[in-house]
Amino acid sequence: MKTVLRIVLIVALAALGAWLWTVLFPGPEKVIHRRLLELARTVSPPGDESDLARLAAARRVAGYFAANVELKLTVPELGQRDSMDREEITQAALLARSRGGGLRVNFPDVNVNVAPDRQSAVADVTVEAHLAGGHDRLLQEMKFTFRKIDGQWLITRVETIQTLS
Amino acid sequence: MAQEQVGQSSTGREQSWLPRWVRIVVIGRNPKRTLVRVMVLIITCCVVFKFILLPIRVEGISMLPTYPDRSVNVVNRLAYLRHEPQRGDVVSIRFDRGDTNTLAAVPPAGTWLKTPHVMLLKRIIGLPGETVAFDHGRVLINGEVLDEPYEKTPCDWNRPPVKVGPGEYFVVGDNRTMPWEGHMFGRAQRRQIIGKVIL
Repeated sequence: MKTVLRIVLIVALAALGAWLWTVLFPGPEKVIHRRLLELARTVSPPGDESDLARLAAARRVAGYFAANVELKLTVPELGQRDSMDREEITQAALLARSRGGGLRVNFPDVNVNVAPDRQSAVADVTVEAHLAGGHDRLLQEMKFTFRKIDGQWLITRVETIQTLS
Repeated sequence: MAQEQVGQSSTGREQSWLPRWVRIVVIGRNPKRTLVRVMVLIITCCVVFKFILLPIRVEGISMLPTYPDRSVNVVNRLAYLRHEPQRGDVVSIRFDRGDTNTLAAVPPAGTWLKTPHVMLLKRIIGLPGETVAFDHGRVLINGEVLDEPYEKTPCDWNRPPVKVGPGEYFVVGDNRTMPWEGHMFGRAQRRQIIGKVIL
């Protein structure tokens, strides 16, 4: 009985240790997943927002991207640009937020694949956007390419994917 | 030791605040067996409703009038184990195409086990190798008009012929009163099809 108890205790301690390790030192998949969730939260503005808070949030959004982001967008509503720098991203985020609160962005399905060198990663994301007062929601599959720059996972490329060709 | 156990048992019976018949109805005559039954039931439900019968809630108007907005349904994930999807089947389709991710090394089994939170609900009208077109709202399969008894509303869509490749299915919603620009339809890959809607 004592031996069984000891084995159970050792297994439980090992499981606790493994869990603690993943919490303290999360892998790239977890970090990217968390960053995407934070990005979705930052993109969704609250109902009432001051100008200062709006600017701060727009700068935070730009902080998730690299200095120059490559764009490959096939959805006309999202624009027809090939690339954007951080300042342009800030301006775009500011413009989107100034149109009024109520936009709620979610990433319900995120699938992250890290390259073998663990310096880049690709995330397939289902983007779900609810507009204030609107009954319907917008769904779009997107692909974000991440690169580890100065120890931070930053988005270097954004691409829209056609779910049905 | 034996005396101690008897003593505890009789004390427990005296202190019990539930009548015996209530305890039997709620817990059963043998609590250990009841516990095992409950565990088996929970595990069975988890396996069935995660991997076999997927409960879904329809959101949106693209499948009207067959499936109203906010209706509840069930997707059978094992429907296409023995045969391939058929024309007229209403299927759930995953967003993740899987072929666009250059780094992805997810094996098919892993993809199958992963259940997405958001899926598309569409009807299959075109099979692999066929050509699908819309002419004044009528669906043309290889140039011939497709009989669609589920289509109750008039439609004026005009779309040029599209060749459905091998391993692909042409899917569309039942609500074609809306403009085609606002309706998500087209070719879905076989691996995107999760299962068949039951109800």
